Amino acid sequence: MPGFVARRLLYLLPVLLAVSLMTFLIASLLPGDLAYVILGDQATPEKVEALRHDMGLDQPIWWRYLGWLGHVLEGDFGRSFRTGQTVLQAVAERLPVSFELMILAELIGLAIGVPLAIACAAKSGGALDRFMTSTAFGMLSVPTFLSAILLIYLFAVELRVLPATGYVPLAEDPSGNLRFFVLPALTLALAEWPGIMRVLRSDMIATLQEDYIALAKAKGLKPSRILFVHALKPSSLTLVTITGINIGRLIGGALIVETIFALPGIGRLLVGAIYTRDLIILQGVVLLVAAGFVLMNFIVDMLYAVLDPRIRHGHT
Amino acid sequence: MKAVPAARYLASIFLVAAFAFVSPTSPAVAQKPGGSITVGLEFEIPGFDPLKVGVFDTSTEIAAAPIFDTLTYLDDRREVQPKLALSWTHSDDFKTWTFKLRPGVKFHDGTPFNAQAVKENFDRQKDPANKCRCAFYIAYIHDVQAPDELTVVYNMNDPTVNQPALLTIQSVYNVIQSPTAWKTKGDDYNRNPVGTGPYILKSWIAGDRMVLGKSPDYWNKGHPYLDRVILKPLPDAQSRFASLQSGEADIVWDDEADADNIQKAQKDPKLAVHSYAGSGAAVYAFNTKMAPFDDVRVRQALVMALDRKKWSQAVTNGLARPASNPYGDGSWVKCKDDGALPEDVEKAKALIKDYGKPVDFKMLVTATPRGRTNGQVLQQFWKRVGANMEIEQVDQATIPPRAFMRQFQLTPWRIIDLADPDPQMYANFHTGSPVALANYSDPELDRLLEHARTTADMDKRIEDYCAISRLINKEAIWFWTFQNTYYAISSAKLKGLPKIYHGVIDVSDVWME
Repeated sequence: MPGFVARRLLYLLPVLLAVSLMTFLIASLLPGDLAYVILGDQATPEKVEALRHDMGLDQPIWWRYLGWLGHVLEGDFGRSFRTGQTVLQAVAERLPVSFELMILAELIGLAIGVPLAIACAAKSGGALDRFMTSTAFGMLSVPTFLSAILLIYLFAVELRVLPATGYVPLAEDPSGNLRFFVLPALTLALAEWPGIMRVLRSDMIATLQEDYIALAKAKGLKPSRILFVHALKPSSLTLVTITGINIGRLIGGALIVETIFALPGIGRLLVGAIYTRDLIILQGVVLLVAAGFVLMNFIVDMLYAVLDPRIRHGHT
Repeated sequence: MKAVPAARYLASIFLVAAFAFVSPTSPAVAQKPGGSITVGLEFEIPGFDPLKVGVFDTSTEIAAAPIFDTLTYLDDRREVQPKLALSWTHSDDFKTWTFKLRPGVKFHDGTPFNAQAVKENFDRQKDPANKCRCAFYIAYIHDVQAPDELTVVYNMNDPTVNQPALLTIQSVYNVIQSPTAWKTKGDDYNRNPVGTGPYILKSWIAGDRMVLGKSPDYWNKGHPYLDRVILKPLPDAQSRFASLQSGEADIVWDDEADADNIQKAQKDPKLAVHSYAGSGAAVYAFNTKMAPFDDVRVRQALVMALDRKKWSQAVTNGLARPASNPYGDGSWVKCKDDGALPEDVEKAKALIKDYGKPVDFKMLVTATPRGRTNGQVLQQFWKRVGANMEIEQVDQATIPPRAFMRQFQLTPWRIIDLADPDPQMYANFHTGSPVALANYSDPELDRLLEHARTTADMDKRIEDYCAISRLINKEAIWFWTFQNTYYAISSAKLKGLPKIYHGVIDVSDVWME
């Protein structure tokens, strides 16, 4: 096992390096030189020249990349030219919000998806199964910005039971904090549960056709015990992958959801950085998020190995 | 019609010394003290330290208004009134302005507000070593002196007849910040601003809430009314409006791009729409050194081909107000004849025909949905008269450098809402200015611009500016599309909001019924 972990960790290095190169290139090659952005309506040729020199923008791009990478390795991701805040400060302020949103969304998604999947798999082809399968398909095609606005109109404007926008820190007011998270987490979960349900349902249907399930039935075990104990664990392998990948998708969804619900998370930080062309924040945050995503997949790989011994012994 | 505001304006400059404690509003109803409001802004506030943020965007100016004071303010009739300054005088050549300051005012940290504080604010922004973007906006002021505790002297590079009005906006270079605070707090000052205003910063959660509390020792006794003001960035227009409807926000920033919600709010008795028809306009500049715009007939034809009403209908449900001169309804410059060219497709066609050569050109357009829509509308207008415009989509930040280097044939630009037309008109049209984008030089235009900036008589200035408008319209070197209009939507219970000058929703003195 330690050898397996070490090998996997080694694979991460080239991936992270590639990610850093991509982020840097994208941010540097975007139209609109950083000097123009900072100078705004005062971007006279002389001032642009002077600022580019000050910031080292007149250096060759590979040189600037190496310089940036060197600083990143020292833990210095740079400073916003707009607020003077460092990337790490900005991320540290925003991360708890996005993290909470992701966890709540994933929990709600699982809470809806898993029971439905089990119910559908238990009577596959039945009325509930057919209804839920088509509903899931429909829900998958609803974009988050639409469901967000619909939820706001229903719960905030019409019923007035939940706030439309806003946030309080968890430490300050835990129940108030949850109230603010219900709608955004639900919005994300609405896009998550169909995937969870469909994957788990088909895996369980396959599992339920295995011989050992027939044996369990023949032994006269209760159907609920067969479903939850004998069928669920072997069927959940794909679910783990999906949940891991979903975290990445949720980061994408958070860009929209955090903007609509005015949650001060990483997504908002990114959107704000794009609007104000705060390229230093942009490339720093994208790198950190990508690194987080890569690590998440690494953890999923590890979980796989725990769930299925064949993988860690290389017999796939 | 035009003489009345001009006379009032003059009176306000010279007779202002009589008032010591003027309430920023003079409402007929009783104000109710206490309570709190939530203000929904468009963007997150980056901070308040000029050296860090360079310039304030509108969201930051809205937050700066209750925390800081300016030397002067504009009342609802656009007259300059005293705030931190009590009175002012000027030299005969308008190159020196002397302000007498309000005594006994303290910053929230206890630092006394005095002439030295005003000078230090100015010097810090002006110092070339600090490389502040804000320095550009005070370049017209040579230096600021503090001969005694309560006297501030502004020495101008050129005659400036309207300096008190130019100090009214809550911009980075006009609000007075505590020198002690920025010196002692260093890097932390940006997010811990200290002013003399009616509200004090209590807490600020990054990206979320800025909570302001009533200042117990505000110099204007009896003000402010509210106990708390909460400012929140609500970046999405739909959910910002929903927050107002559901009562989580009491007043929100808005603009014409959100015309549907503004019109919905106008019909809702629980909501109030505050709009201010500002001066200035969205404009376009032709590069007259490049064909085909080196020929006046082509420029005139393209301007005559516009149908601003239809355009406004298409893009903003008719909310945007067509502009026929650079000043707008919000300006004190009112012209009987601004020389606007008629919107006349047939005449435009005839001019293009007369020109004889094909009219093909490129126009810069910002790569935003709004920019593209405007570009497509113009393309259709000009196609009708036989001109082919190709849209060149560029990043917003690319437009200023392209404009400065004159690397364009036709570019969008903006004249913002300022209390006096001089700074922008002189920069935009005087020969040799970096933003005289049209590359056009006319001794008569230069003479009028110089005369207008050095003349105190408002009637004469109005005459000058109207002549300038006629000249520019006739030569069609720039054209104006829509006037600047600023919007805020609030609960109908929110009272006491002043005019939204420059787009700044100043909640310093509002109360809830």
